[in-house]
Amino acid sequence: MARARGTDGSLLASLPWTLLALAFALLPHVPYLPAWITAALLACAIWRYSIEVRRKPVPPALLRASLALACFLGVLYTYSTISGVGPGSALLAIMAALKLLETRQRRDQFVLLFIAIFLVMSSLLREQYLWSLPYLVVGVILIMTAWLRTAADDLEPLRRSLGTSSRLILYAAPLALAMWIFFPRIATPFWAVPIDTGTAVSGLSDTISPGDISALSKSDAVAFRVKFDGVVPDPRDRYWRGLVLHRFDGRTWSGISEPRISSGALKNIQTAGEAVQYEVTLEPTRQHWIFALDIPYHWDLESTFLGPQHQLARVQPIDQRIAYKAVSYPDYRIDLELHPYRRGWYLEFPESRNPRTAELASSMRAAATSDEAFVRAVLKKFNEEEYHYTLEPPPLGSHPVDRFLFETRRGFCEHYASAFAVMMRAAGIPARIVVGYQGGELNPVGDYMIVRQADAHAWTEVWLPGSGWRRVDPTAAVAPERVDAGRTGAMFDGTAAAWGLGAPSRLLHNLVLTWDAANAKWNEWVLGYGPENQERFMNWLGMDDPDWRQMILTLVALVTGLTMLISLALMLRYRPPSRDKAAILYDRFVRKSGLKPATGETPRGFAVRAQRDSPLPADSVRSITDTYLDVRYGPPDPALLRRLEVDIAAL
Amino acid sequence: MDGPVTQLHPRRIYILPTGVGLVFAMMTFAMLLGSMNYNNNLSFVLTFMLIGVGFVAMHQCQRNLVGLELSFAGTEPVFAGQSAQFRIAVANRSKSPRHRIRLYIDDVQSDIKDLEQGESKIFVLPVGTEKRGWITLERFGIRTLFPFELFRSWAWLHMEPRGLVYPHPSEHAPPPPATQTALGHRQHDARGEEDFAGLRKFHTGDSPRNVAWKAYARTDQLLSKQFAGADMSSQWFDFDAVIADDLEQRLSILTRWIIDADRTREDYGLRLPGQSFAPAHGESHRRQCLEALALFGLEDADG
Repeated sequence: MARARGTDGSLLASLPWTLLALAFALLPHVPYLPAWITAALLACAIWRYSIEVRRKPVPPALLRASLALACFLGVLYTYSTISGVGPGSALLAIMAALKLLETRQRRDQFVLLFIAIFLVMSSLLREQYLWSLPYLVVGVILIMTAWLRTAADDLEPLRRSLGTSSRLILYAAPLALAMWIFFPRIATPFWAVPIDTGTAVSGLSDTISPGDISALSKSDAVAFRVKFDGVVPDPRDRYWRGLVLHRFDGRTWSGISEPRISSGALKNIQTAGEAVQYEVTLEPTRQHWIFALDIPYHWDLESTFLGPQHQLARVQPIDQRIAYKAVSYPDYRIDLELHPYRRGWYLEFPESRNPRTAELASSMRAAATSDEAFVRAVLKKFNEEEYHYTLEPPPLGSHPVDRFLFETRRGFCEHYASAFAVMMRAAGIPARIVVGYQGGELNPVGDYMIVRQADAHAWTEVWLPGSGWRRVDPTAAVAPERVDAGRTGAMFDGTAAAWGLGAPSRLLHNLVLTWDAANAKWNEWVLGYGPENQERFMNWLGMDDPDWRQMILTLVALVTGLTMLISLALMLRYRPPSRDKAAILYDRFVRKSGLKPATGETPRGFAVRAQRDSPLPADSVRSITDTYLDVRYGPPDPALLRRLEVDIAAL
Repeated sequence: MDGPVTQLHPRRIYILPTGVGLVFAMMTFAMLLGSMNYNNNLSFVLTFMLIGVGFVAMHQCQRNLVGLELSFAGTEPVFAGQSAQFRIAVANRSKSPRHRIRLYIDDVQSDIKDLEQGESKIFVLPVGTEKRGWITLERFGIRTLFPFELFRSWAWLHMEPRGLVYPHPSEHAPPPPATQTALGHRQHDARGEEDFAGLRKFHTGDSPRNVAWKAYARTDQLLSKQFAGADMSSQWFDFDAVIADDLEQRLSILTRWIIDADRTREDYGLRLPGQSFAPAHGESHRRQCLEALALFGLEDADG
């Protein structure tokens, strides 16, 4: 027998809340979902709600089945897979939409609420910001309120449902916190599932082509944060080494695409002077490069190696935010000897491209007395002639270096580094481009340094006999303030002055810094609460060398204790009302009389008996009884109560 | 008729997860595995919040019943075959409201009700009846699914509330006996005056005013005077006079006669072996007669 398809409006009490919870759970997915899925869910929600309001039957099974098939194929067509966060949340949204159409009974809504919970969870897998915590708390409150109203048969006042669910979640909060802290974190996942986060990760490109537009230079996104252990290096020493590019095809610079392990790389480094110790928290890049101050010497990151070109790289790409400690020596010499084969790498450039640059380089080298003098001459040329630093350079043609050097004369670090390296190579000096970050802003709020994507930089290294690879930053010759103050500071001062907004925008900037400090703490202690942080916290709590058994035991003990507290709180909540103050006083009076009131005896009846049989003075008995009746059954009067207390005490 | 008050003690309350609760538990376990796999601390927060809510819901569900006071608030007598409406008063003497309480026995359920603080409400359990006599609820349950329907907590009560079941009124009863007089025929006195119509044997319940004292002095036998007109419509339903196969059928026929006579507001009397009810009418008379029929021949007739 087919089930009745009709609706009777009985879901009106809970359906709006279920829909609200679903909508809230879906909210963070909307930017990533194809528009048609959001639209489908919205349409189904409105459709189903109007069905309930107008007491219409739900759509027939055949229509629902074909809709389901169409939506599933739609998801498959859009994503061409059904695993991962993106297609997963799309499927959840589709399931919610279709389940809505076949929801007849009150209890069918539980399925919708389960879907809402999974939607919240998958949004957390996708991104975890500071606001994700309030989002998930509000989400849980909404879902549990809808749940409460679904479990209830009749309409109860909204305030009551909201109050009940908030109260229960408040009780649950300490339990959740205890479990969160003590649940043992494991380092390695059970099974490797690629997280398709769907977000575009901003980061350095593996290649540079001066002349192409770089959006990175305008991004305020954080690349990484650094905490220094001791001395903070000067701005001019803040070169965060990333990847090295040595191939040049006349237009584009590229390097080795995969990191290579070179066990001998450290041997070729000679260090001098003071070391700089620091900890970097790197945002995910989905690349292999690990950023460190020039030149890294120690690091505590697993499966991370210094390649032959002295670039740090991890075998696995950086999919999640990671933290690592490193030690660098700003004063260093590397590769005092250069293998002829390698030397060939760093001298290569296509003869047919950029002929004017090659010609200029040859003549300038001929005029210079030594390689060093030639380097200085080129830097002097950039510094003294009409070259400008700008983030919006004009486009370059098929001979980009020629056009830049002789015509446009405007560009940013990539242009100068590229032009400089080409000139070096044309003059027979091995040269390569290093891409990384330069600068970083100290945040006094959290006492750490923020390095943003806008700090991305490219500089060059030239190999000179006797001194090895030496860093030369041609951009510094053109725009020294770019290197000295860092880009953020320069931009800030310029903008502020231009708008005449010294103080207010400085205040705004401080707010930004405070917000970033909060984010850094959040990343470190909440999102980054992994095995290491947990062990640190357990040690701080006084547990020596905690293992997972100890933590589980603590967890169980805490949960048991807290559960008992919750039980106690509930017991207090449902205790009988405390006795009336007057009744307690009257009991005292009865005890003093030495008599026992009979069952059902009124205070007046008792008074008659007490006047006759008890040793108490008859007047007092009468007045106390009168006062008691006034206090108990009359309007509240503290003075009267006080009198009753005094009179009884006086007996 | 209020019985003793039973208070629900925590130790008497059972609790088990519902189907929804089991699904909820499986979901949180899956979420825990997912959080561990992705090492995602925010989804750990979500998972542990939901697990915490589960724990709290369990205690809340049990506490929703603890301390409730139940008492039997009586049941109206019914005829066998009808359902007896057992009325149970549930009082919430605590400072907070209780939600979604329901009483039940086997497959019979009361309505679901909320109890505000200090409030007490009557829950009705309609229990089907088959036989006449006393019907006793050996036990009944009180349960709640509050707050999230993840757990069901319940308690059994052995208050043994009792209700009376009258015999089933026969559908095929012969017509009631004709109005009886001492002369054995019907009087058709249009004037309606109280004319002396004869003497008959005294029965319990006869008015002493109507006793023929002179005849008593003469014959040593108590006789009642019968008047035409005065008791013209009064009838006697005599157990022994009913023609039926067995006891239950007789009682059933008598019940039918009483109901019909009561409806026409005629006086009627009932004569059972060992007891007799003089002709009268009215609610209490009807109740007395039906009660006698209900309990006739049963062991715990006065129990």
